[in-house]
Amino acid sequence: MTVKEAVELLRKGFSYAKRTKYKEAMSYYDKSLTHDPKNPEAWYLRASLLIDTGRSKEALVDCDKAIALDQNYAPAWSKKGLAYYNLEQFKEGLFASTRASSLNGNDVSAWYLKGVCLDELGRSDEAQEAYGKSLELEIILDIENEKKKVGR
Amino acid sequence: MKTEMPLSKPIRHFLNKTEELLDTQISLLREPEAEPGGTLVDCYTYDIDHNVIIFPAQYVGLLKDFIIAKHCTNLMIKGAASKKGEYKVCSYTEDTVARGLRQIYLDALKDEVNKRDKLPVQKLIQMLFILFTHFNDDLNELPWNAIINASVYHRMPKIRKTQLYHVMKESKNDMDEMMEQEDIVPRRYFVLNKAMFYARDMFLAKTLPADELMPVLNIPQMKKFNHLEVKEMLTTRWTHTAWYQSKVFGDNMLEIIEKPLNQVNWSAEPSLDYYYDLYKIGFNLTNQLISYMTMKDWYVWEKPKHLLTAHDNKEEYEKKALRKIFGDLISDSWEESS
Repeated sequence: MTVKEAVELLRKGFSYAKRTKYKEAMSYYDKSLTHDPKNPEAWYLRASLLIDTGRSKEALVDCDKAIALDQNYAPAWSKKGLAYYNLEQFKEGLFASTRASSLNGNDVSAWYLKGVCLDELGRSDEAQEAYGKSLELEIILDIENEKKKVGR
Repeated sequence: MKTEMPLSKPIRHFLNKTEELLDTQISLLREPEAEPGGTLVDCYTYDIDHNVIIFPAQYVGLLKDFIIAKHCTNLMIKGAASKKGEYKVCSYTEDTVARGLRQIYLDALKDEVNKRDKLPVQKLIQMLFILFTHFNDDLNELPWNAIINASVYHRMPKIRKTQLYHVMKESKNDMDEMMEQEDIVPRRYFVLNKAMFYARDMFLAKTLPADELMPVLNIPQMKKFNHLEVKEMLTTRWTHTAWYQSKVFGDNMLEIIEKPLNQVNWSAEPSLDYYYDLYKIGFNLTNQLISYMTMKDWYVWEKPKHLLTAHDNKEEYEKKALRKIFGDLISDSWEESS
């Protein structure tokens, strides 16, 4: 199987995941990873799926694999933060989400997660700053979405 | 409540508290095609065993939190009413539809006399029930919207900026509603509809202490009334515009809204009794708005199931009401084509 075919499997898996058909999605992700374990996106997508199905601990392993392949892969850091948050490990969640937001300053989820973790750690003022940044980005995206809708 | 999505601390606490007080379950659901303001599907309205708050999938941060806070407050009000007394909504029956449609028709006729371009009869008849249900929807939503926003504002200071953005957006959409039909809708109803939203926005502008939410400034049609002197208002051509009238009626409605809501202790202990009191305030407020708009015999307070059944039967109700008003003048062919 070629790399291209492995990517196609990922695409199919993602399409199932979007429709919350998790079992089918997982099967495609697994196949893709068997054929191309060097794609950080594949590990990241499987981590997302594991989180969505309540398996945050396993998701952490996949996030780490993605990060090992690409230290600067922002989505994996963001997902890692979310997995830690779900496991109530807020310090680690804060570290991961901070890394994600510095790698990609436009990642709403990362900024928001950073705010949530700071809040949980009782660092309210810093949390407000992170929330503020997340809201700013979310509003920009929302306005863009509205414009697209009007243009449709 | 079990969710894999991150939630800010006050929202998580509020969700847990709501579940505990109402002894119910709440699920959160992301939907790509969800309404921008989200949707609450609750067990006090529908025959289901738990509650679902649906919000747009692209809302991942505080916008999502605000939608949850808003619907959770609404759920508390509905749940408290159900547990402490009886939860009722503004519904309609065959008879009330006939009364409402007759009134709208008479008002429309008055307008038509002075119009150069008359509305085709068929269109005029079709408009009657659309307007009737439009006001029913607004009355079931608008007073509660003011109460819910005030409550969220006072209880969750951390999401105030988000709330302001959301309220601004909602306000703009509400004010844009009916605009394309301005020349078709009888003046009285256009004015009352705009006045209701104007009053709500003015109330929220006073509640949310940020001067960005100022309907008089934000709505282009309202701008000319800003800082206008009474004499000027009474003597200029603006006294004849629907927007001027909306402002006058809206100011009166604002008084109706402000009076009970200014007396609420928004930071009181959030118990079932507290939310039941909010329900009673919303109930009375809706009645006052109905009275002010002289729609008293158009609607009835009934259990939510009654309204769902009324929606299911609306074509039948409309048909019968039109027959009552127009008798045999309503031909079968029109009924078939409608």
